[in-house]
Amino acid sequence: MSEKISISIDGKEIAAEAGANLLQVARDNGIDIPGLCYHRRITPTGACRLCVVKVEGQRGLLMSCTLQVAEGMVVTAFDRELQESRRHTVDYLLAEHNDHDDGTYHDELRILASEYDLLDPAQRKVPNIFRSIGYRVDDTSPVLTYDASKCIKCFRCIKGCDEIQGKNVLSFSERGIVSHIIAGFDIWSESECDGCGECIQLCPTGAIVEKPHRETIKLDQIEKRVKTTCPYCGVGCQIELLVQDGMIVRANGVEGVSPNDGRLCVKGRFGSDYVANRDRLKSPLIKRNGKFEEASWEEALALIASKFSDIKENHGRNALAGYASAKCTNEDNYIFQKFIRIAFGNNNIDYCTRLCHASTVVAMLRSIGDGAGSNSIEDFALTDCLFVTGNNIIETHPVTATYVKQGRAKGMKIIVCDPKWTPLVKYADIWLQPKLGTDVALLNGMIRQIIKDGNTDTNFISERIKGGMEAFEELKELVEKYTPQIVEHITTVPSDIMIRASRMYAEASTAMIATGMGLSQQVTGTHNVFSLINMMLVAGQIGREHCGINPPRGQNNVQGATDVGCSPVNYPGYIPVGDSDNRRRMAALWNVPYEELDAEPGLSTVEIMHAAHRGEVKGLYIMGENPMVTDPDTNHTREALEKLDFLVVQDIFETETTPYADVILPASSYAEKDGTFVNSDRRVLRVRKAVEMPGEAREDWRIIAEIAARMGYSLGSYSDAGEIFDELAQAVPMMRGISWKRIDHQGIQWPCHDPGHPGTSTLFLGKFNTPDGKAVLNPVDYTEQTEKPTAEYPFMLNSGRILYQYHSSTMSRRNKALNDFANEAYVLMNLVDADRLGLRDGDRVRLSNSRGELETILRESTEVAVGELFMPWHFSEAMVNNLTRAELDPYSRIAPFKLSACMVEKV
Amino acid sequence: MSSIKIELRQQDIDKIKEIAASFGNREHELINVLHKCQEHFGYLPAEVQEVVAEELKAPVAKVYGVVSFYSFFTMTPKGKHPISICLGTACYVRGAEKVLDEFKKELSIEVGQTTGNGKFSLSSLRCVGACGLAPVVLVGEKTYGRVAPDDVKNILKEYND
Repeated sequence: MSEKISISIDGKEIAAEAGANLLQVARDNGIDIPGLCYHRRITPTGACRLCVVKVEGQRGLLMSCTLQVAEGMVVTAFDRELQESRRHTVDYLLAEHNDHDDGTYHDELRILASEYDLLDPAQRKVPNIFRSIGYRVDDTSPVLTYDASKCIKCFRCIKGCDEIQGKNVLSFSERGIVSHIIAGFDIWSESECDGCGECIQLCPTGAIVEKPHRETIKLDQIEKRVKTTCPYCGVGCQIELLVQDGMIVRANGVEGVSPNDGRLCVKGRFGSDYVANRDRLKSPLIKRNGKFEEASWEEALALIASKFSDIKENHGRNALAGYASAKCTNEDNYIFQKFIRIAFGNNNIDYCTRLCHASTVVAMLRSIGDGAGSNSIEDFALTDCLFVTGNNIIETHPVTATYVKQGRAKGMKIIVCDPKWTPLVKYADIWLQPKLGTDVALLNGMIRQIIKDGNTDTNFISERIKGGMEAFEELKELVEKYTPQIVEHITTVPSDIMIRASRMYAEASTAMIATGMGLSQQVTGTHNVFSLINMMLVAGQIGREHCGINPPRGQNNVQGATDVGCSPVNYPGYIPVGDSDNRRRMAALWNVPYEELDAEPGLSTVEIMHAAHRGEVKGLYIMGENPMVTDPDTNHTREALEKLDFLVVQDIFETETTPYADVILPASSYAEKDGTFVNSDRRVLRVRKAVEMPGEAREDWRIIAEIAARMGYSLGSYSDAGEIFDELAQAVPMMRGISWKRIDHQGIQWPCHDPGHPGTSTLFLGKFNTPDGKAVLNPVDYTEQTEKPTAEYPFMLNSGRILYQYHSSTMSRRNKALNDFANEAYVLMNLVDADRLGLRDGDRVRLSNSRGELETILRESTEVAVGELFMPWHFSEAMVNNLTRAELDPYSRIAPFKLSACMVEKV
Repeated sequence: MSSIKIELRQQDIDKIKEIAASFGNREHELINVLHKCQEHFGYLPAEVQEVVAEELKAPVAKVYGVVSFYSFFTMTPKGKHPISICLGTACYVRGAEKVLDEFKKELSIEVGQTTGNGKFSLSSLRCVGACGLAPVVLVGEKTYGRVAPDDVKNILKEYND
């Protein structure tokens, strides 16, 4: 804590922290000194000269934004001379300024012009010359327009791009009166700008404005501003939706709250147009004679209830299963799992988490007792060393990455471990590029090196690891064979680089890990993460602030959907289904007979498909998932769906999966309902209704409850989502202290056990969440991948995501702004391979293996190693999962999306 | 921005890297690095600036910002015969601007541009220390004194090669 001091501004005594910014202190205390270049989130610039003040004992007018407060400071913020000076400044700014106001943006200069009575040009002393200057307009970006005639050169945009987003795309060109902001070489669309729009949000005068909805938006016609949570990745950015004529016309980042403090990425800012897309499902559809026909809710619900009931009666309860959704709210998912457990009477419920971080969660649960990220998103700027493995964090979690880049700017060390180049490599000290599927060998080699160097934390090992030094000895013995030479041979990572990385990680005073799909989506996914955790434990890089392991979540509510029990093995709060005490507790909470709650674990995502393929699962209820794109081995998935007796898909759009449905139900998007999401740092965040649902679409949880009622089961009577949340907070022990009311202004991080608890920013500070409070080492050996390149299928195909599209792209591809950036599938191939095969950039190629094939465009690249390929998997016209396999990790049942042998030929 | 698209050869890239390295690849040496690059290439096309940015780990917009700020730096190649007209006080009062206008008219280019055939480029400068000869024009290394607008055609004729 800084020292508290006392200052006086215009005679008012103010307590402040020594060294704080004077302008901010004044504003925080209601003294609204004007200023256009200053913004709380960037360093002070001192360009506009509007925040001038007088300080006793100092000469002249001083810019308050450049002053730090000190004990006894006596400040004059408003007097005649200061106001005169400010009026002159505004007058001068207006002289070069195009003050046409189109009513589409918040104009801070215009407000000042009004305050200083300068709106009327007749009141100004300086004639306006903006027309004679010939200001330029850069209209090339897909998402924004820069008009130099409205720019006051305050530097907020440049600093925002640099200091907040860490992108450094903007600068200043030319000099004098014609100087202006530039992106790259002065053509926005050709620059590295990725469209996050931070500059738009910071611009005080509307010189940088967004393109989408420019023609329609009128600030004086905005009906409401709704604070909610972004529907894309798991960062959980807080956004403010502006609604006009019942449509979302703008999204701003909400400042002053975690996790994003105003920052957004391109999807968060420009990705909500899908909500009002005309393709939205508006009425229930029933398939008759192979064709979907509109039906009433009554008819659709009655049909579903009778079909599900028939299947249960004729084939037993295990013939039914459900897919929950990481896109839906906790309330929707909680009611869905309640439905499966009460109405279906089994635990056959899972969702896409099985396909992303299941192995991570299994390994983390066994080793440290919690599958969630141990740190807060802000900690990514505060740790001394960050080890990022199998995680393209800049593209998949862009706002978390802004914290990483801020940390980097302050000297944080970054180690990237990825077979494919990612943008973070540009910021990294070390890039480890192991061959696909060799992670365990690399990590074991690093552990061995940490031990050899004496960089183990023996206190930590003795006190906080189960079995202490004895358990450590067992690991030490196992990793002994992973010498740098052997590791280099297996992984192709040069031994000196591996050694340097292990020292950098272990010797850092604090170090954090971010792990992603690259590690988890393998047949050895759980082993990979075990090995990673072993490294973290022997180095003692967990259990302290700014230390730990974090699996940033891919979808907005993956964390929450599992937290509230959408799992075949766990009830809400990660309590195993076999725990009879808990089932008794749930039976009482849900008001159902204890005996009816199945104690047997259910089927996981891919297992449900396998069981359907075998004819064992006959009825399936899919809520907001698209397995035809997201599940491995698409042909197998198709056959499984075709074999079902009855399939219900509840979604907001028709998808690649809906053609196989018997009934399609129109559901609600994130902007049309109240509820909560849980983000990657365990923060329970509010979702709020901004617009009405289209047609007859309904909230998901209400649909589920209606089906249950028609099957003869009551899921409870709730008047709104808040009531559901307050019930689920009772079901989920680590959320017991959180209530609908408490998270109204700002989210709370679980665990939070009682209403007075502030939430938990870092896990495992005192103990691990295992039964005895100690972490567990799980020594694992490297095993060769079962899928190997062969003469017939010589390439190993890796898959992943890109910044501009999202998941199966049902949502993201319905936003023009995002499509303008990237709307085409491609495969990356190393230049050497392309040369050898006589292929050229832009060629149309066919990728195939025994499971299927796809066609796409070839891009020559140095981002992938020789013999390896990479494809984004968002594009259904080039479905990567035609080539993947459903061979599962034995522990977590995850599928190996990252490793598929295939061949490439020119079409 | 108006710049000519060029493709750098490997030896050009190596040269830029060498220059950047000679200044320790430090971002604050940007102006010196650009200076040396312009000395080598004669001008600073975007492609050169990109390599400089990469080598100094500086944003391309910043490099371009500096290039566009200083009139010394140019993004268009100088002509085979660079023409400079002095607009210093002495030359100016004796009609240098009219001489400049004549050059612009004859060559159909503006200051800072190069003729389509790459033969002439036009720039202005401030005082070459030959005020007694005002107005002064430089073509390459050759100096012309007391130039009147009518002389322009004849001067250009000298370079009909």
